[in-house]
Amino acid sequence: MTTKPELNLGSHLVPGLAAVALFAVMAAVFLTASFPEPQGFANDASVVASIGYAMFDLDFGGISSESFLVAFEIIDIVLVAALVGAVMLARREPGTTTVKLVSDGGRRLRETLSKAENGETEDES
Amino acid sequence: MVPPQYYLLLSAAVFCIGLFGILTRRNALLFLMSVELMLNAANINLVAFSYVWGNVTGQTFGLFTMAIAAAEVAVGLGIILVLYRDFGDVDVTKVTTMRW
Amino acid sequence: MAGIFDFVPAIVLLPFVSFLVALAVGNRLPKGGAFAGIVATAGSFLLSVATFFTVSGGQTYNQTIYTWANGLDGAVTLTFGLLIDPLSAMMLVIVTLIATLVHVFSLGYMNDEGETGLPRYYAGLGLFTASMLGFVVADNLLMAFMFFELVGLCSYLLIGFWFREPGPPSAAKKAFLVTRFGDYFFLVGVVAVFATFGTAAFAGSESFPHLAEQALHGEHSVNTFGFEPRTWFTIVGLLVLGGVVGKSAQFPLHTWLPDAMEGPTPVSALIHAATMVAAGVYLVARMYGFYALSPTSLSIIALIGGFTALFAATMGVVKREIKQVLAYSTISQYGYMMLGLGGGGYIAATFHLMTHAFFKALLFLGAGSVIIAMHHNENMWEMGGLKDKMPVTYYTFLSGSLALAGIVPFAGFWSKDEVLYETLVHGLGGSPILLVAYAMGLLAVFFTGFYTFRMVLLTFHGEPRSQTARDPHGVHWNVKGPLVVLGILAATAGLVNMTPVAELTGLEIEFLHQWLGHGIEGLTSHHYVELLESQAGYHAAEIGPIVPGLVSLALALAGAGLAYFLYNDAEPTEHTDKLGGAKTVLYNNYYQDEYQVWLANSLVQPFSRGADKFDQGVVDGVVNGVSSVSLLSGNRVRRIQSGVVSNYAVLLTLGLTALILGFGLLGGWF
Repeated sequence: MTTKPELNLGSHLVPGLAAVALFAVMAAVFLTASFPEPQGFANDASVVASIGYAMFDLDFGGISSESFLVAFEIIDIVLVAALVGAVMLARREPGTTTVKLVSDGGRRLRETLSKAENGETEDES
Repeated sequence: MVPPQYYLLLSAAVFCIGLFGILTRRNALLFLMSVELMLNAANINLVAFSYVWGNVTGQTFGLFTMAIAAAEVAVGLGIILVLYRDFGDVDVTKVTTMRW
Repeated sequence: MAGIFDFVPAIVLLPFVSFLVALAVGNRLPKGGAFAGIVATAGSFLLSVATFFTVSGGQTYNQTIYTWANGLDGAVTLTFGLLIDPLSAMMLVIVTLIATLVHVFSLGYMNDEGETGLPRYYAGLGLFTASMLGFVVADNLLMAFMFFELVGLCSYLLIGFWFREPGPPSAAKKAFLVTRFGDYFFLVGVVAVFATFGTAAFAGSESFPHLAEQALHGEHSVNTFGFEPRTWFTIVGLLVLGGVVGKSAQFPLHTWLPDAMEGPTPVSALIHAATMVAAGVYLVARMYGFYALSPTSLSIIALIGGFTALFAATMGVVKREIKQVLAYSTISQYGYMMLGLGGGGYIAATFHLMTHAFFKALLFLGAGSVIIAMHHNENMWEMGGLKDKMPVTYYTFLSGSLALAGIVPFAGFWSKDEVLYETLVHGLGGSPILLVAYAMGLLAVFFTGFYTFRMVLLTFHGEPRSQTARDPHGVHWNVKGPLVVLGILAATAGLVNMTPVAELTGLEIEFLHQWLGHGIEGLTSHHYVELLESQAGYHAAEIGPIVPGLVSLALALAGAGLAYFLYNDAEPTEHTDKLGGAKTVLYNNYYQDEYQVWLANSLVQPFSRGADKFDQGVVDGVVNGVSSVSLLSGNRVRRIQSGVVSNYAVLLTLGLTALILGFGLLGGWF
């Protein structure tokens, strides 16, 4: 038996209103803005071929473009780095214990310390 | 000729749908999908303006964006795996260690 | 100019090295580091003597050694430098000689008595000597001030040497605080000098006395803060004088000095004869060219001096402890020096500074010898008859006493007589206020003769009045040696400047006049005389020195004779009861301490309490308020950081929306 997808309505949707508001603002901006007439591409030029040539700094494409060889190579490196990073993150290392970060602004530490200090001053007084 | 406004509206709509997902969902995997939507909204923009200016630079950028998105998803999945390992869940509202 | 002047810094540094040595390894050295101190001060002494002879050859030295704050664009430059002229060369010899003798004497007073903490003691002596020497050679007022303070610090350390007993720490604190009170004025004065002249150098064409003189002639303009130049110079001079009054134990800041007798006796000798107390008078002599411009300051100096001389001498009359008598005599004698300086007798005051250094060091060391013999009992009424038991101490002490009382031909007579003579001639020459000071100084001569011989007679003459006096503890060469050296000096030091004899015979034997008459231009006694005549209106009346000298000698002999008459019995009785009500007043030192304590309690304390309330309430309140507001707000605002990614995303989205709206509205997109 299959279950029908149900629309899950509730208060958790409230933050989504922010997204809706953003859409409204953007739509208002876009609709009131004026744009130049699109130039389009020449009918006989191949868009895909032009992209290919642009990526390798070759000047054979029918449509003008900047050259992207360096960007292409950098993206290559970023992809490899991301791959390696993902593998590193995902790998389960045997024998490592996970330590929860102490990221409470040092509050726990301070409370511990002040408790110790109070204990001492109480001894004195 | 389709005026650029339509493309922009489409892009804004896709972007805001992605954003809506991020704001309302708690599952980290759904987060990743929503982020993909937002990235592709940016791609729509790039391609639209490539068309407006008669220049393939925007389209090339779109391709690069996809490549970066792939890298991002790879890292994101890695993070989600670690998240699951450390907290036993992929609910992003449960992971509140990095607060005050 | 290679020569002895290149070694002048070593004069200061040698005792400082001995301080470091005694402090660092004094425990492992024999005699607790005493020999290091003796060698260092003796070396300084030899260098000083060499410097002295070089200076007497006509050379002087005025050099900046180290600039530690370089002023840009007309701001003041702060330096350390050396100024060697006849005055400082003479002072160097005095200080190093007495420091050496005090170190030697300490072998007998401290080491042989089995005191503990000797490295600390010798380190203190070394630093004390070093800082006084640094003060003597200082070529500017700021450097002088710094070493002045160091001298004060060392006196604190040494007076409080026996810090485990109740008396010394309190006396040390008192000495420190009372002199510090004067030094506040001095510090303000230093700042005023810098603000007025932009320099604090003592000598040279860019020195502040010279600039002040030019300012009075209208040749140079200085910032006098809206006052008449002469008025302002008087104010500045009196501010600096505050430090002098504190250090030289002049009325009303003299109260620390009698209490300072709690320290070891050699330290008292050093403090009184050569270092701490002398520093104040030396400072006035050093910048005499500045004081000579202001007749008001000079009169005030003379009045303070004359009053202090008389005031302290009367208090010395009734004291029971030998060191207390000497303490009051010191205050009184420094009063004479101030009287001399204020009365226009620059040479006379310097002369008295020199002779007093010798005979007061002698008297303190002699008293130390007596105290050793009496097993640290200082009460004169339990002494007596020590003349036969310790002849060396007796005769040297007698030499010092004759010098102190001013009996011809001992040192004190010549110098004290010249001080009084200078004051008298300038007083008769058109400055009648000096005559008041002169009268007080002259009257003090009588009391000086009286208390001096009362002390001598009670201590050494008559029958022994206690068991310890019948069988005194012997003293060694290291006590007798310094006594003999100083005893000879006390008897003869006055011969360098016998003004009355010079007057009678017409011989050129006023060596000190010649000595101080040469040197750096603007620092000679001739220049000071010119200044006194042209600026302060001091003119010398035509009176020979013979008659005033005879008058003061007669008074001193009368005082001594009265003491002899009253106390030269085998079993002397106390005559203080005859003074009636005055006795109580004198015993209580004119209630000076009580008066000052009352001043501190009822005036200063409420004021400080108010200032403290202001500080705690308003100043700290503002600071604490700011911090607690930011703490509180930080505590609230940080709640935004919930750690939930969705919340951050909402905030981001809202922020972006607001941003676009804002830009759109401002940029007119809609």
